Amino acid sequence: MRAPRFLLAIPAWAWLAAFFVLPVATVVYFSFGYKPGIFGTHATDVLSLDRYREALSPTFFTTFTNTLRVGVLGTLLCLVIGIPMAYWMAVKVSPGKRAFLLALVIVPFWTNFLVRTIGWQVILAPEGWLSGMLQALGLRENPLAILYTRSAVLLGVVYNYLPLMILPLFVAFDRVGPAMREASKDLGANRWRTFTRVTLPMARPGIIAGILLVFIPLMGDYITATVLGGARGNMVGQLVASQFQAAQNWALGSAMAVLLIIVIAVTVLVGAAIAYVVTWPLSRARRLRLADLEGLPEKVR
Amino acid sequence: MSAQAGAVELTGVTKRFGDAVAVDRLDLRIEPGEFIALLGPSGCGKTTTLRMIAGFEQPDEGEIRISGESVAGVPPHKRHVNTVFQNYALFPHMNVAENVAYGLQQTRTPKAEIRERVAEALDMVQMRAFADRKPSQMSGGQQQRVALARALVNRPSVLLLDEPLGALDRQLREEMQIELKLLQSRVGTTFVFVTHDQHEALSMGDRIAIMRGGKIEQLDTAAAVYAQPASAFVAGFVGQQNFLAGTARTDGVIESGPIRLRSERAGQHVAPGPVRAAIRPEYVSLAPVADLTAGAGHGTENTVVGRLASIAHLGETMQYVVEVDTGHETTSLLSRIPTPAAPNVHVDDEVVASWTPGCILVFSDPNAGPAIPPDLTTVPSTTPAHPPR
Repeated sequence: MRAPRFLLAIPAWAWLAAFFVLPVATVVYFSFGYKPGIFGTHATDVLSLDRYREALSPTFFTTFTNTLRVGVLGTLLCLVIGIPMAYWMAVKVSPGKRAFLLALVIVPFWTNFLVRTIGWQVILAPEGWLSGMLQALGLRENPLAILYTRSAVLLGVVYNYLPLMILPLFVAFDRVGPAMREASKDLGANRWRTFTRVTLPMARPGIIAGILLVFIPLMGDYITATVLGGARGNMVGQLVASQFQAAQNWALGSAMAVLLIIVIAVTVLVGAAIAYVVTWPLSRARRLRLADLEGLPEKVR
Repeated sequence: MSAQAGAVELTGVTKRFGDAVAVDRLDLRIEPGEFIALLGPSGCGKTTTLRMIAGFEQPDEGEIRISGESVAGVPPHKRHVNTVFQNYALFPHMNVAENVAYGLQQTRTPKAEIRERVAEALDMVQMRAFADRKPSQMSGGQQQRVALARALVNRPSVLLLDEPLGALDRQLREEMQIELKLLQSRVGTTFVFVTHDQHEALSMGDRIAIMRGGKIEQLDTAAAVYAQPASAFVAGFVGQQNFLAGTARTDGVIESGPIRLRSERAGQHVAPGPVRAAIRPEYVSLAPVADLTAGAGHGTENTVVGRLASIAHLGETMQYVVEVDTGHETTSLLSRIPTPAAPNVHVDDEVVASWTPGCILVFSDPNAGPAIPPDLTTVPSTTPAHPPR
C-alpha cells in the first residue's frame, strides 16, 4: 500500500508552524496587549489597539520612511549591480572560471556579518586608510566625510546583500542557456534585443527571488545602518529591538514589528504593480493571439 | 534578387578548436534552391560548418559567401539566414504565434503584415490552430513544425537545419522527411541539412556531402553516392558493405582467404597488390548447398560456401549472416534479400553465397575502410540465435 502523499510535506509544514506561524501569531497577539509595569514586559488581559496608536508617532514615521528608502534604494542598487555581474558570470566567463568567481562571491559570508560591517567603518573613517590614501594621492583635500552618512549605509547594504542578489540571478541566467540566445540572434535580434526580449524575461523568477531575498532581510536589518549610519542610520529594526531590550516593552515592540511586516508586504505588492504597469504596454504591443490571426485567409499553396 | 540569391560558397574554410581541427580547408558550393545534406559521423565537422554559415562561429581561414557576398565578420543577426535548431530552441515564455512573429518584429515589419505572414507560416506547417499554445504544451513533432515556421516566416535566402529530426520517433521522422522535402520544393529556399542519418540524407538531399575529419569525402546525388562511392569510407557509411581484405593477382582476381572475387564493374581498375573489396548485402544472394552445380564451391569466383549463422526478419527484407571458414578464422558475410524472394534456408545449413560481378567495389588502399563507427560496419547487429560452434 502507498503512503498518502502529504506525508512527505509534514516536516515542512511542522517547520513552518513551529518557526513561522506560531512566532508571528504570538507577536500579533502581544501587539494588542500592554506593558503592565516597570518590571513586566507584556500583559494581554486587556486587548486594545492602543500600542499601534503609540507606535505611529512622528519619530516612528521618520524612521519608517528612512528604512523604506534604504530598503528600496539598496535593493535597486543590488539589482543594477547584480544583473550585469551575474550575466557576465553566467554567459561570458568560461565554465572553468565560474566556480572560482562564485566562491569569491560567497567567501565574505564566512566572516561574521557584524565584523565585516565594522571593517567598513574602519575603512571609511575620516582618519582611516582610504581617506589617507585619497589625500596622499591629491584626490581629496579634506579627510573623507562619508562615514555616518546615507551613502555609507547604502555602500554597506550593497556590500552585505549583493551576494543574495547575484546568486539567484546567476542561476537564472545560466538556465536560459546559449541555445536561446543563439536562436534569438539567428532571428535577427542584436545583443541588446536578445537580452531584453529573451534572457531577461526568461530569468524573471531569478530576478524576483533576488529582489525578495535582498529587500526583506534588509528591511529588518539595523546593524549595517547603525554601524555605518550612526544616528542618521535609524532603522525600524533598531526601534523594535530597543523596545524589546532596553525599554522592555514587548507589546509596543510587537506592534512595531507587525507594522513592519505590513509595510514590507505592501511595498512588495506596490512594486509588483509598478513593474506590471511599466511592462504592460510593451508586452501588449508584442502580444499575438490566435484571435489576432482569425479572419485571415488560409492561403492555398 | 540576383541570380546568386540563396547560393552558399565555402572556399578553403578551416576552423580549429584549440589543437583540434574541426573543419579542414573545406570547399563547397551550394546552388540556389538546392537541398543539400551534410552527412557524417559525429565529430566530422558538419555542425561546425553549419554554425559558420549561420555566423555563430568564425572561420580561422578561408571565406564564406552567401548570395554572392562575403560574410566575414557579419554577426548572425545580420545574415539573411535562419536556422532550425536541434532541440528547436523555441522561446518558452512566448506562445507559438509570438515565437513565429519574433523574427519579423526584429525587422520592424508593420503589425498587419506580421499577422498575415505569421498566419501564412503557421498554415504552411498546419499549426495555426496551435497559435496560443506555449512550447511546453506541445509534442516534439509540433515544436518541430513551429521551429520551421519561425525560421521560414523570415523568408531567408538559406535555411539551415541542424539534425532537426533527431529527437522525433521513427515514424514521425519519416513523415517529416517527406514533408520537409515537399516544403522545400514549394518555397524554393536553399536548405542545408545536417544529419548523421544516411536515410535522412538519401531521402531528402538533392546532393549529399559526406564528411569525415573536417573534409568532404564525396559530394554527389544520392544515386551516385550509393552506386559510385569515392572511398571505402563513403561506401561503408552510405548503406552497408561487406568489406573483404585480400590481394589482387595480375589477372585481376582478388583472393581473400578461400573467397575469389572478380570484379566486372565498368570502369573499375584493379591494380595488383593488397586491396579491399566491398559488396553490398543486397547484392549477395543465397541458395541451399544442394543447388550447387558441379564444379562450383570453394575456389569458384564470386561464390562461396559457408554456414548460415543467423536469420533476421527486417520487414521488407530478410537479413542473413553467413560464416565462411578461412582456415584460421571466420569471415562473416551479410546478405539481404527481399522477403518475397527469400530462399528456403535454415540456421546452421550449409549455403552458397554468390554475388553479381558487376557490383564489387575495389579500393586499392587496404587500410581505407571501414574506419567508421562500429554500429555502421558490416558486422550484423543481430547476434546469432545460438552460440558459435
